[in-house]
Amino acid sequence: MTETPRADSLLGLAERIVSFGKGCGADEVEATVSDGREFSVDVRQGQIENLVEAGSRYLSFRVIKDMKTAHATSSDLQEETVRRLIRNAVSRAALGSRDECAGLPPLSPEKVDIPSLRLFDPEVPKLEAAKKIHLALETERIALEDKRITNSHGASFITNEVTTVLAGSNGFLGSYNQTFCSLSVGLQAGETDDKVEDYWVSVDRFFKNLESPETVAKKAVERTVRQLQPRKIRTQTVPVIFEPGMTDWLVGFLFACVSAVAVYQKTTFLAGRLGERIGNENITVIDDGLMPGRLGSRPFDSEGVPCRKTSVFEQGVLSRFLCNTYAGRKLKLPTTGNSDGTGVGPNNFYLLPGTVSPQEIIASTERGLVLTRTIGHGLNPVTGDISRGAFGLWVEGGEIAFPVSEVTIAGNLEQILSQVELVGNDLDFRAPVCGPTIRIGALTVAGE
Amino acid sequence: MICGVIVSNRACLKEAGGLTIIGQGIEYSRMIAFEDHFQMSDTKRRKVLEQALSRGGDFAEIYAEYRVYSFINMEEDIIKETAESISLGLGVRVISGEKTGYGYTNDLSFDSISKAALTAASIADSEKTASLPVFQRALPSEDRYPLKRPAHQASLQDKIELVRRAYLSCQKSDPKIKKVKALFQDHVQYVSVVNSEGWAAEDARPQVKLVCTAVAEKNKRKEFGFSGGGGRVGLEYFGQVLSPERIGREAAEEALLLLEAVEAPAGEMPVVLAPGHAGVLVHEAVGHLLEADFNRKKTSIFWDKLGKRVGSPLLTIYDDPTRPSFRGSYNIDDEGTPPSKTLLIDRGVVHSFLQDRLSARLMGRPLTGHARRQDYTCIPIPRMSNTYVDRGQEDPEDILRSVAKGIYAEKFEGGQVEDSGKFTFSISSGYLIEEGRLTAPIKQATLIGTNIDILQKIERVGADLSFGLQTGTCGKEGQEVPVTDGCPTIKISRMTVGGQS
Repeated sequence: MTETPRADSLLGLAERIVSFGKGCGADEVEATVSDGREFSVDVRQGQIENLVEAGSRYLSFRVIKDMKTAHATSSDLQEETVRRLIRNAVSRAALGSRDECAGLPPLSPEKVDIPSLRLFDPEVPKLEAAKKIHLALETERIALEDKRITNSHGASFITNEVTTVLAGSNGFLGSYNQTFCSLSVGLQAGETDDKVEDYWVSVDRFFKNLESPETVAKKAVERTVRQLQPRKIRTQTVPVIFEPGMTDWLVGFLFACVSAVAVYQKTTFLAGRLGERIGNENITVIDDGLMPGRLGSRPFDSEGVPCRKTSVFEQGVLSRFLCNTYAGRKLKLPTTGNSDGTGVGPNNFYLLPGTVSPQEIIASTERGLVLTRTIGHGLNPVTGDISRGAFGLWVEGGEIAFPVSEVTIAGNLEQILSQVELVGNDLDFRAPVCGPTIRIGALTVAGE
Repeated sequence: MICGVIVSNRACLKEAGGLTIIGQGIEYSRMIAFEDHFQMSDTKRRKVLEQALSRGGDFAEIYAEYRVYSFINMEEDIIKETAESISLGLGVRVISGEKTGYGYTNDLSFDSISKAALTAASIADSEKTASLPVFQRALPSEDRYPLKRPAHQASLQDKIELVRRAYLSCQKSDPKIKKVKALFQDHVQYVSVVNSEGWAAEDARPQVKLVCTAVAEKNKRKEFGFSGGGGRVGLEYFGQVLSPERIGREAAEEALLLLEAVEAPAGEMPVVLAPGHAGVLVHEAVGHLLEADFNRKKTSIFWDKLGKRVGSPLLTIYDDPTRPSFRGSYNIDDEGTPPSKTLLIDRGVVHSFLQDRLSARLMGRPLTGHARRQDYTCIPIPRMSNTYVDRGQEDPEDILRSVAKGIYAEKFEGGQVEDSGKFTFSISSGYLIEEGRLTAPIKQATLIGTNIDILQKIERVGADLSFGLQTGTCGKEGQEVPVTDGCPTIKISRMTVGGQS
């Protein structure tokens, strides 16, 4: 698909890298070139704070010679530099070790229809700077109208247009264009020594699907002020309700544990457990690169393998690891179209939603914690252990009673997956890795 | 070619001695980074700055960067991959009042650079016209990278040998070590900054990192260990300061220790921080919230606390970008300002903020040299470099003996903070303290607190200051920069520990 002159010149460069690499003695070569345009405006207290606009191009390639691999990337696209990098890579490959699993995938006969994926919104490149600035200003202005908001981290409007091309010595040649836009605002409520803060962001490939300044502002205000005057709670083990944004990171952690790279490297507790029941019947997890208009969709992965839909968990049973060509060969599994540069990455990776509403989940909870935000790291894929700083809302008798701050939650992913009691119907694909509201039977919440 | 640049650049810096200004035309032949990689003459740079100020901006700056990386990865007993990367690009910034315009490009044709300048210029809208002064060079007082064998000059075989040594040492430590990975990374970053006030400065910053990870397995239980080192050093570091064998061994030891670890306790208890790595606590609890941008905007809880007591009188904290060879150090910051060791907390009292140009001007405070950026695509913002708690008086053994029941936090995965002062840090390994002694090792756990509360609960500070691994990276607003943290043994009277038991 070469719909623009820009894609044509990038394709030419990618093809030249492949042919020059072969000419230098490489057995196989694969080259990616991307061209991005970025616009971003940050406003704060009614004024523009930062305005950034730029275009840039990057290339990356790998060469394989005698089953030995070398990589390179560059933002310097001058012919002389690129040739030097290729020659260096071919000679560097000789210093590596022979690896039977190295190499490009075979060329797939399948082709994904790119326009049907709806990755590109022609309206985005045409948006006037003044309009983008106005949207950010409006969002912040509306948020600050609420007297409970005492300070602002500012609002931002960002657009990105990216063209990606890929050429391989296996005969692959492809390209696609994408757009992204986002509108966000971050707020504080409370006085200096009792501050609470949160934000809201709307992201979409299509400008018309972005939430309005009113909606973004309202959600950010609501998320911020609901935390005012928090309490600390006693250390206890209780049901914990994850809001969708929280399920997102849990599902993201799960992704790290089903990555075939982590599996062959034995850095995940799920290594060697294909076919086993890990979670309960509520756990069905899917990776799908072909969902029209979704943030994680793409026609082919970074090795040119067509993307597809893969069930990773089926009603609690681990059914598939997500592979690139290399990790797939290591594990004797087929690639799933999840190559992401040198590793494995998610497409749209999500926990299948259920039928209950988030309100019903809270109403059916006698006592527990609604998890609204976490800070810190504390995720260990080798053991599945989780320990993070947490903020939330205390639930008493099926109703929100008061905000909770300065606690931690701790548990283990495998135990959590076997204790997902309720799954909400509110999956909205706001992020490529995502899930709906869920309730976990019991987690340790550490407080006073 | 590249090595030549460093050597001559360093020689030049050493000759200069003290903060020296060299007039236009005298030392321009030395501005090798600009001449070699950016092919921009003095005249061209003036032209670009004039374009940047064409809409009446107050200040304009060109930041040019050229970085060459190498990378080696060993796993499954083979050198699995090597990589070379080049990052070349340039950004033009214009400040008008409190507003910043920024354009960048990695196509260094004059047309593209002009376009970036005009993009940045559009932030301003005034009749003001600027005349550019004669360029002068700002030079730092000394070279903070006193290295002998620059990594980017060394052969790939030499670097592969370091990786192999770390890998084998880890693997051979114990039969329970089932998986090992060793990574080596180095880069050299040439930075050149010139601004409309007539200041020009360059830096050529080396950076090296060798890390090893281990997975140990026993009775189906698996645990992970990590160690590493490096900094703005040459390869001689791995002979003189930290051997690859020790890096490998330490990664194995952590994984083996965790095989025997019990669940960390949950709830509030006394916490003793081991010297070194635990500096991540002050990085999160104090450092970020003393970055000037958060205080200028009054989003940090410290904004109204300059000169006020916020913590225990035992607590003195510095951020020092001038420590030789440290990962977070630099000769000039990313606005060209020579940095200085900055006192942040003086015996419990807030002493100063970490400044960049914009915040320093708007707040009427002196520059501290803490403007940093991830790369040329980013606007500089105030950042930490090497942050540490100054040594105290006490014997670390005495500190431990004062705890009847608590935890000893030894190694850290990292931490996070928000402007309200709530912060966490996650320990990757530590011990229970029972009756003043270290007993069982504990598994990973996250600790949470509110900074001013925790700073007041610092009860004892040891005399044993040391620094953590030279492998840390700090992220802020999507920009990652290398940092280090340090501290002596510290006792916090109570803190919430997020274990499971």
